[in-house]
Amino acid sequence: MESVNILSILVFTPIVGAALLAFFKPKNTAQVRHAALAISSLTFLLSLGMLWMYSTAMGQHEDGDLAARGSMQLVEFGEWLPSLGVHFHLGVDGISILLVLLTTLLSPLILLSSWKAIGDRVKEFQIAFLLLEGGMIGVFLALDLVVFYVFWEVMLVPMYLLVGIWGGERRIYAAMKFFIYTMVGSLLMLLAMLYLWWHTGTVQLIEHGIVNPETGLLEMMPGLLEVLRTNPLEPTTQVWLFAAFALSFAIKVPIFPLHTWLPDAHVEAPTAGSVVLAGVLLKMGTYGFIRLAIPLFPHGTEVFTPWMLGLSVVGIVFGACMALVQTDVKKLIAYSSVSHMGFVVIGLFVINDLGWVGGIIQMVSHGLSTGMLFLLIGIVYERRHTREISHFGGLAQVIPVFSVMFIIATLSSIGLPGLNGFVGEFMILLGAFREHQWIAIGASSGVVLGAVYMLTLAKRFLFGPLVHEENRNLADLSPRELCYLVPIVVMMFWIGLYPKPFVELIEPSVQLYVDTINK
Amino acid sequence: MPINLVSADYAAILPAVILIATGLAVLIADLFVTDDGYDNPSSEKSHLVWIGVCGAALAFAALFVPSGLLFGAWSENGVASGSEVVFLGALRLDAFGGFAAAIIIVAAGLTTLSSGGYLAAQGQNRGEFYGLVYLGGGAMVLLAQATNLISIFVAIETLSLTVYVLAGFFRKWKLGAEGAAKYFILGAFSSGFLLLGMAFVYGATGEISLAALGKSTADPYLMNVGLLLILVGFGFKVGAVPFHSWVPDAYQGAPATAAGWMAVAVKVCSFAALIRVVVAAGQGGVADAAIGKMLAALAVVTMVLGNLAALNQTNIKRMLAYSGIAHSGYLLIPVVLAFQGTPDPKVGAGALFYLVAYLLMTIGAFTVVAMVSNGDTDREELESYNGLAKRQPFVAFAMTVSLLSLAGMPGTVGFLGKLTIFKDAVYSGPYLYLAFVGILASLVSVYYYLRPIVAMYFREEGETIEIVENNWGVKLTLVLTSFGTIALFFCGKSVHELSVRSIQSITG
Repeated sequence: MESVNILSILVFTPIVGAALLAFFKPKNTAQVRHAALAISSLTFLLSLGMLWMYSTAMGQHEDGDLAARGSMQLVEFGEWLPSLGVHFHLGVDGISILLVLLTTLLSPLILLSSWKAIGDRVKEFQIAFLLLEGGMIGVFLALDLVVFYVFWEVMLVPMYLLVGIWGGERRIYAAMKFFIYTMVGSLLMLLAMLYLWWHTGTVQLIEHGIVNPETGLLEMMPGLLEVLRTNPLEPTTQVWLFAAFALSFAIKVPIFPLHTWLPDAHVEAPTAGSVVLAGVLLKMGTYGFIRLAIPLFPHGTEVFTPWMLGLSVVGIVFGACMALVQTDVKKLIAYSSVSHMGFVVIGLFVINDLGWVGGIIQMVSHGLSTGMLFLLIGIVYERRHTREISHFGGLAQVIPVFSVMFIIATLSSIGLPGLNGFVGEFMILLGAFREHQWIAIGASSGVVLGAVYMLTLAKRFLFGPLVHEENRNLADLSPRELCYLVPIVVMMFWIGLYPKPFVELIEPSVQLYVDTINK
Repeated sequence: MPINLVSADYAAILPAVILIATGLAVLIADLFVTDDGYDNPSSEKSHLVWIGVCGAALAFAALFVPSGLLFGAWSENGVASGSEVVFLGALRLDAFGGFAAAIIIVAAGLTTLSSGGYLAAQGQNRGEFYGLVYLGGGAMVLLAQATNLISIFVAIETLSLTVYVLAGFFRKWKLGAEGAAKYFILGAFSSGFLLLGMAFVYGATGEISLAALGKSTADPYLMNVGLLLILVGFGFKVGAVPFHSWVPDAYQGAPATAAGWMAVAVKVCSFAALIRVVVAAGQGGVADAAIGKMLAALAVVTMVLGNLAALNQTNIKRMLAYSGIAHSGYLLIPVVLAFQGTPDPKVGAGALFYLVAYLLMTIGAFTVVAMVSNGDTDREELESYNGLAKRQPFVAFAMTVSLLSLAGMPGTVGFLGKLTIFKDAVYSGPYLYLAFVGILASLVSVYYYLRPIVAMYFREEGETIEIVENNWGVKLTLVLTSFGTIALFFCGKSVHELSVRSIQSITG
């Protein structure tokens, strides 16, 4: 199996697919839609293949030490610009594999959800979306900082187009704000990367072999993680570099007070954009912390930990309070994202196994539950063309199946035991309690507030008398809509009831990372 | 002194000779052959375009003939063999000149290809346009190879004359006349600086060869004043702040495709000559370190002011002009590093690689401008691009690729160009701040590069845009530039390696 470069195939299937779509006739929308769906479904199947190869590789190290079980698998090291020192270096480990799977699972579902919603410039939409998918997968797999940066930025353009072309009223403002905010962070990150490059002489994250041009022999070169472990950076340098990386990631997460782009982007984006934003894009920020900022700059992390934890608690409470007073459903969910992502950041910055495993599970859970909420809102928006909460009420009488789905998503978002939201949040709080009790207590208030605003939403949305006559004739979920909701519900119950396989997938890598950081 | 010409001499001037011969051939062909009647400036005259493109292709091929400029660097061994001084030191046959020449030649070919339909639509399709491009192109190629003060000056003057005329090529445009006049006066003024500087340098060393700039016995006072004046002269040519005031006016008044040609080709050859000067001056001579600092300051103000001024432009040509100024700022970073002469002999490679990227994205952008500003009406305002993506998806796509590349977004070769330049700056140590300023400046630039994209994709169409639609040359140009911009991002390996070897042929 060594010869199959599954990771490159995974990254490039959507990208090449997008290029191929360009040759389709724009008029033939059905064909374009089917082709795009086929490409993203193929990507999902390929990602299952990756999971299988990963598990097989793990199986070989069953009794091996932690280093063997937790390290990068399926590593690819290709030539890109050797004279510049940049290589196409990919790999997957327990930290990234679930996020890749989340991306590939959500993508076909999102395409299916926009089957009717996107009627204008269908071809461009599918192309932009597939490029976005490729970029997202690439971020999670990249092991070369430049490649990471490339994918990080490549995603920006299609997302910008998604909001700007297919968005709502204030789409241009929202798209610009999103782009500029992200750009500010990422260019500072680029500068920090360049500095790191100069200081260590490499941009590869892990050990890799390079053929020496003079001798023709393969030589093992240490990666950034190894170099910085044996030869740490000056404490002040670390603080600066951490700050530059963290700013970029914090904008993406988003951490209070850098969150202001998120409600705008969410509200203006089409359903597909909102789902992919909440489902995957926000996770890139937290993933960046795990993969780069925390392991590369332990001292910087130490200095900033109180800030990050404090801001996260503020964000959890602030996001929840803001969600309480929203009248637009999408805005409510957007603020709830700010609140929920705060938990993830807390999980990461308590730096123990529990916090990290919980954080990663919570990333996936939040992607599923918030993604599903946005899909559901998209469904009613398609029928009623409004998102004001006051325009609804008593929907449970008219569209029972929809209402069941909505309740499941709500409960999952609140963190009801038995559903996915509980597992991650509980582990995070447990992990946080071990290190910083007050933080855990502060964060817990977010769980309570979360229940308040989500249940209020469900009540005002689904129950009570049916005041608006227009709502009486709403159609319930169509088979197509069920098609893309059911897989998410299945995953929610799976993670909620039997999280063991997921935890086992994540744990060795997390342990390896946490052990080295705490050493 | 008798000159014995050997094969190296011929190989060195072959590309320039081919370009000049092409220019003359176009001029002659325009006299005799016409599509419909004698000299109809509204016909496409595709035979002129063909002659031009073939000439460019021949000149390009001439770089790779055995003992040609790029032959040594392109072949396997990786060493830039065969750099030789030819014509008694007036020129040098090396890969560095060859690399710059290659960019100029490709720019000439693409400009020709994209101009036929555009000039015909404007009713101004006269053979002189192509003739001037190729005659100027020949001079530019010679400038990229020139290694003594006289040959540099003669080449600069020759190419400048052709560009002045091109800037005012649309005689009926008031802005054209104004821009060309401004360009000419300031250009003449800057030539004065250049010449005075050369005189001082000659006074300091008693030699006209560039290599003499590194002489340790030269008079330091005369040498430094002379170098400074030479830098001022080059500053005008590349449009560095504060010598940039002609750029927006000249670009706005010039035919769009000529503006693209001016932006790319003049920059390429001027930077090539400038790098030769600073490399020679930086090699242990009497040049003061303060010159490096001044160059760095020039880079900083050029990047910052160029980008800030571009923010407010609503005329797309002026916006691209200010963006061109900003790009001169980025390109000055490797010049600073080359002057400093870091132990790493490949620091200037960033400039060469960046110029390749700059060629593709700038010609691409100006070609779209040419397509949209079809006819007599003024179609250079940003609003003219509203809704372009709906009617002309491919044109909008090509423009987007060019703009994103100019902004330095990954996925385009513009990103790799910026990456090499900024990486070198960080590696240089003392000039790390240039990378910092450059990155902040490119952040600012993102805003104005996005504005045409917003107009094309997000806004609704105001008026119906008629563009030079069915012109094969224009379309082919856009296919080549946008495809090249993306393809070089993925497979830029050999071009980057070539740029490294090329720079080593003068520094290493």
